[in-house]
Amino acid sequence: MRQVYLVIASTFTTLSVVFAFLPLGTLAIIPIGIAILFGILALKKSDAKQGKLVKVLLLFAILSLVFVVGKEVFTKDEVVVDKQFDTKKAESKKEAKKDLEELEDLE
Amino acid sequence: MRKLFLFVSLIWMLNFSYSQIKPNEKLVYAASYNMSGLMTHIAQVKMETEIMETYKKSFLHLSCEAATFSKWDSFFKIRDLYESYVDPKTLRPSLYKRSINEGGYTKTEKYIFKPDGKTVLSNSKKRNKPETKKTFTVGNSTQDIVSILYKLRTIDFQNYKNGQTKSFIIVFDEKEIPVVVKFMGNETVAAGNLGTKNCFKIAIAAKTEALKGKDKNLIWLTADAKKIPTLIKFSIPVGTGQLTLSNATGI
Repeated sequence: MRQVYLVIASTFTTLSVVFAFLPLGTLAIIPIGIAILFGILALKKSDAKQGKLVKVLLLFAILSLVFVVGKEVFTKDEVVVDKQFDTKKAESKKEAKKDLEELEDLE
Repeated sequence: MRKLFLFVSLIWMLNFSYSQIKPNEKLVYAASYNMSGLMTHIAQVKMETEIMETYKKSFLHLSCEAATFSKWDSFFKIRDLYESYVDPKTLRPSLYKRSINEGGYTKTEKYIFKPDGKTVLSNSKKRNKPETKKTFTVGNSTQDIVSILYKLRTIDFQNYKNGQTKSFIIVFDEKEIPVVVKFMGNETVAAGNLGTKNCFKIAIAAKTEALKGKDKNLIWLTADAKKIPTLIKFSIPVGTGQLTLSNATGI
């Protein structure tokens, strides 16, 4: 059973680290939670000599959690200036004016 | 006396040439999506009003744009623009435009509401597909999806009882959809730079696959004459989310 817990904890710890670095926001909390849960279960089934790897996995999972929460708290939400979008908006307005004037001609 | 009359006329014109919706209003929202049980800010939504002058008339240009925050752009970039050109007094639409770009999927739509009040000419273009043109009929009180948000703000909810409803018809994806709004009482809601506001809580139900759940799609409007939307909660097939007002100017 310990082996199963260890494999699940290793897989989800790897996913936790990957998710933490991708811009997935709090979605990373899912693999982190699973990694911590199975890490604790694996730790309970391990004796003193076997526990080292599990502790390393738990450390990575907890560091990922701290990183994700820190990113959420300290990263400022901002929208970049998008010139292409601004041009599109200006063109849309010009086109709308033309359409509305054509519509007025029908009245 | 003449000056007094002029002054009174001007005040009357200022009050009655527009509905409650005034030009140069700018409302900025943070859009959040429920990810793993936590609301994550993903985009900024801006709702703006301005006057568009043509050679015969003035229209009120209502625009609603959504743009993902920079941290999401490389992963799933959204640049959506919804616009409606309406009569400033009645908020009846003459032109509706939609241009969406969601993670590379693009779609543009344009509805021209003909002066007969019944006919709509539509142009629609999806990514990698040819443009389609269609003519269809609508009722003379049909709104588009942008103007309905503003029309909602002209309802006098002060005199509504809990559970009282009002029906509308909107046109979306070239189809008319009945929409029912239900007054659900008053609640106090955080309203960005406006502080904490007493608000009307309104549930929106539409016969469409786009919205899910009973009384799960909600909008809170300030319980005053301006009726500023402060919080919008939505439930769609792929999850739930909300828009929280962060800044309101020109109101």
